[in-house]
Amino acid sequence: MKRIRILLLISALSALLVVAGVYFAVNYGSRWIPEPLVQLAREPDLLENAESKKCSECHKLIFEAWKKSRHSRAWVSETYIKNSEDRSKEKCLACHIPEMVRAGVKPDPRLWNRDEGIYCVPCHVFGDAPPGTPPGATPPPACAEVENSPPCKGGRGDSLPVVTPASGTLAMNGPYDLFSPPHPTRQNPDYRKSKFCGSCHQKTLKEWEGTGSEKTCQSCHMPPAEARLTQKFILGLFHAKKPVGDHGFRHGEIGDADLAMEARIAGGAIAVALTNQTIPHLVPTADNGDPRLFLYAVLRDAAGVELEKYKEIIAPQLETALPYRKTAEYKFPLVPSAKRAEIFLQYQPAWSKERSDVRRIQMDL
Amino acid sequence: MKGHYKLALTALLILLAVLPVQSFAKDMVAKEPPKSLDKLYPPVNKEQKWVQQMHKISGHFGGVFVDMGEQDWENAEKHAARFVESYKEAADMVPEWKDYFDHESARKFAEEVKTRDAARIGKAAGPVGKTCGKCHDDQYLSVWTRYHWPSADKIAITDPVDEKELKYGKYMSLLSGAFKGVTVNFGEGQYDRAKKALGGFKKRFMELKSVCSKCHTGDAVKQFYVGEASAQAFDGMEAELNSPKPNPGNFWKHVGTLGYEGCKKCHLTHRAYAIVQEIWEEKEEARK
Ligand code: HEC
Ligand code: HEC
Ligand code: HEC
Ligand code: HEC
Ligand code: HEC
Ligand code: HEC
Ligand code: HEC
Ligand code: HEC
Repeated sequence: MKRIRILLLISALSALLVVAGVYFAVNYGSRWIPEPLVQLAREPDLLENAESKKCSECHKLIFEAWKKSRHSRAWVSETYIKNSEDRSKEKCLACHIPEMVRAGVKPDPRLWNRDEGIYCVPCHVFGDAPPGTPPGATPPPACAEVENSPPCKGGRGDSLPVVTPASGTLAMNGPYDLFSPPHPTRQNPDYRKSKFCGSCHQKTLKEWEGTGSEKTCQSCHMPPAEARLTQKFILGLFHAKKPVGDHGFRHGEIGDADLAMEARIAGGAIAVALTNQTIPHLVPTADNGDPRLFLYAVLRDAAGVELEKYKEIIAPQLETALPYRKTAEYKFPLVPSAKRAEIFLQYQPAWSKERSDVRRIQMDL
Repeated sequence: MKGHYKLALTALLILLAVLPVQSFAKDMVAKEPPKSLDKLYPPVNKEQKWVQQMHKISGHFGGVFVDMGEQDWENAEKHAARFVESYKEAADMVPEWKDYFDHESARKFAEEVKTRDAARIGKAAGPVGKTCGKCHDDQYLSVWTRYHWPSADKIAITDPVDEKELKYGKYMSLLSGAFKGVTVNFGEGQYDRAKKALGGFKKRFMELKSVCSKCHTGDAVKQFYVGEASAQAFDGMEAELNSPKPNPGNFWKHVGTLGYEGCKKCHLTHRAYAIVQEIWEEKEEARK
């Protein structure tokens, strides 16, 4: 009886040791794992334009967050389809269906799996050839005239070596130096830098650079939370928790501290002051979208009847958006019998006509 | 060495001589491009298949002369053979255009490359190059108008005053009406009304700034039409209307500036093809 108990204890202990050993090897000593074993665990199709569904088998939470992001809608968005003339305008494809994202380089459009817009593979899978490597030979005369036009790339008499996602050794690029059995990974510091986002958010990046802010786009739009990267049954538990960026790419949430709105009466008018206190880019900000803030001032008489309604449109495309830490003032002249004023600010995102309240002030005159 | 150089120069000269040069016919009419092109361009096709085919044939055509200059006759012959093939492929892609192609001349050209005689090759290239030029002269403009120039009419603009969404053309009519509201009232000496009209007109005009990004991806274009010159014209008009005795000379000068910098200049570049597109659209409607 006692023997059996000891035996059980020993096997339980050794099982624990194995688990601990594997945990240690996976997280801190992956170079001791024999190569054939690694190859056994590899799933090569993950590097071959896999759909996001495939990644979700392990990265379930990241997938679910991404699904809610605007990036997942970049190609199927109704407003985008309308403005790109049924997705036929050549200039409008690159950032909405990128082939691969390399920090600081405007992407080329891709041909496969377009419905997923900006998804896992273009943002994470590519080889190790340096970005911007020039084509290996001079193009034939006809092509030289139209350099940079996408059709030129694939349509030459003889295809020229151009940097594609597959140039070099393929891997899953990310911010960490870690070991992932199913697919090779490559650490790349660009993932925590604003210029990664600036490959497409070019105008916003320029605005951000102008503010001198130290906070990266990721720190606000992909706030990290301590979690596991994968949720695969049991196996996921072998990987240590680490900060995981919110792949919902938060949008449109203007917090109380971010934007100040004040109203006072001065010189026969209501003066409304708006200050972008914390956001190191224009508010709103855009590349080709047209997000807007609407500032209204409604004047009423004692009975509540509307006497006058003023409006200001605050939008990057109209060059009226709010710069970082600057105050913009709007003046709305009073009318004689006005007794009350309601001042409110509404936000309309780039991708919808629906508006939501941001601020509302009531004033007795 | 010297002979080599001479051949390279000859090859280049032949290429330049036979390559299509744009020379649009004087009595040109922009005919609608044939229907089968639709499937060779977005949105029906993911890629611009016709343009790719053009690069393919011109790559092989040019390739013959590049290799000839390098005395790489083996590859020159390869390019010639592939040129004949890709030229045929192009003809098959758009049956309505089959008469533009001259396969017999293309075949002869490839035959002559085998002689390795620059003069004969150059002579045989001429008729082939002419077929390129003829089709380009007739069709370029139509193809660009249909497949490359974005259509303004598919753009909607929300009127900043009424918050109603209008099609581009309708919005232009509204804008033009608002402009007249200012000038007519000013002409009649109704300065208060002119001033009120100017406020609405300016909002509507400046709203055009939000339209550029539906076709242009850079902000730099906004210096034009809706830029400084127009803003100053508005300031000038406002200043006159705010003064106790507006000066008509000054006022009309600013109106003229706005009409030219803000309206006419944009129409000259953006309306020309919109007019052709509109005519085609009306024809299409009539057919239905
Ligand atoms: C491949 C180009 C590309 C890259 C790289 C990219 N974005 Fe985007 N992003 C877009 C496009 C296109 C949209 C608009 C999608 C839509 O709504 O149709 C967008 C939308 C967004 C939105 C939502 C905007 C809104 O109107 O609600 C946020 C926030 C955002 N991106 C943040 C980021 C951040 C942060 C990064 C860097 C970690 C990043 N993006 C990297 C192209 C890109
Ligand atoms: C350089 C990259 C880039 C190019 C090229 C580009 N976009 Fe975008 N687009 C973005 C980014 C980033 C956003 C998200 C921020 C914003 O709203 O502008 C976006 C958002 C949008 C939106 C708002 C989101 C939505 O789903 O409605 C529309 C509409 C849009 N783009 C249309 C276009 C059109 C039309 C073109 C061609 C004229 C174009 N884009 C070309 C990067 C690009
Ligand atoms: C069979 C499970 C599995 C699948 C499927 C999978 N991954 Fe992973 N992935 C992992 C594991 C395990 C890690 C490492 C986790 C850890 O160490 O915390 C990882 C890590 C990563 C990293 C971090 C790399 C770094 O160096 O920072 C990225 C990025 C990544 N995966 C992207 C993807 C993408 C994109 C897909 C789909 C094409 C995908 N993965 C599919 C299991 C998987
Ligand atoms: C717009 C580009 C973009 C898209 C799309 C995208 N990612 Fe990421 N991903 C990033 C960036 C940037 C980081 C680094 C975030 C950080 O840690 O600051 C990252 C980090 C990761 C990591 C490492 C953990 C972390 O947060 O640092 C994993 C794993 C990952 N992504 C998987 C995925 C999967 C799976 C998908 C698709 C469901 C996906 N990503 C879609 C840009 C993207
Ligand atoms: C300090 C936090 C912070 C940083 C850093 C930051 N943003 Fe934002 N961003 C916000 C907030 C808050 C909003 C919501 C306000 C708004 O809609 O403008 C926002 C809105 C956006 C939007 C939505 C468009 C809109 O305005 O409606 C985009 C796109 C965006 N940011 C991109 C970026 C990019 C790209 C970077 C890096 C160059 C960046 N942001 C850096 C906080 C930040
Ligand atoms: C049947 C008509 C036709 C014939 C024959 C033809 N082309 Fe074209 N080609 C076109 C049209 C139409 C375009 C414009 C395509 C566009 O811009 O979408 C074009 C465009 C081109 C372009 C420019 C592509 C670009 O990227 O803008 C080149 C180069 C060219 N053709 C070469 C040739 C050569 C060389 C030949 C003769 C060997 C030839 N073409 C014969 C109709 C023709
Ligand atoms: C319906 C699409 C469309 C709209 C809307 C549009 N453009 Fe253009 N524009 C074009 C096309 C097409 C060209 C000629 C080729 C090119 O430059 O892409 C052009 C050319 C130009 C040019 C001269 C060439 C250049 O690119 O520098 C300027 C300047 C210009 N546009 C300014 C504007 C401004 C300012 C607005 C907004 C007030 C605007 N455009 C709105 C389609 C448009
Ligand atoms: C950004 C370029 C642009 C600017 C600036 C512009 N227009 Fe236009 N306008 C166009 C285009 C493009 C059309 C053709 C629209 C169509 O047919 O769909 C047009 C058409 C018109 C039409 C004919 C409308 C119809 O279809 O019946 C009038 C009238 C007009 N514009 C007046 C003006 C006036 C007045 C101004 C200046 C106050 C002005 N436009 C400024 C681009 C512009």
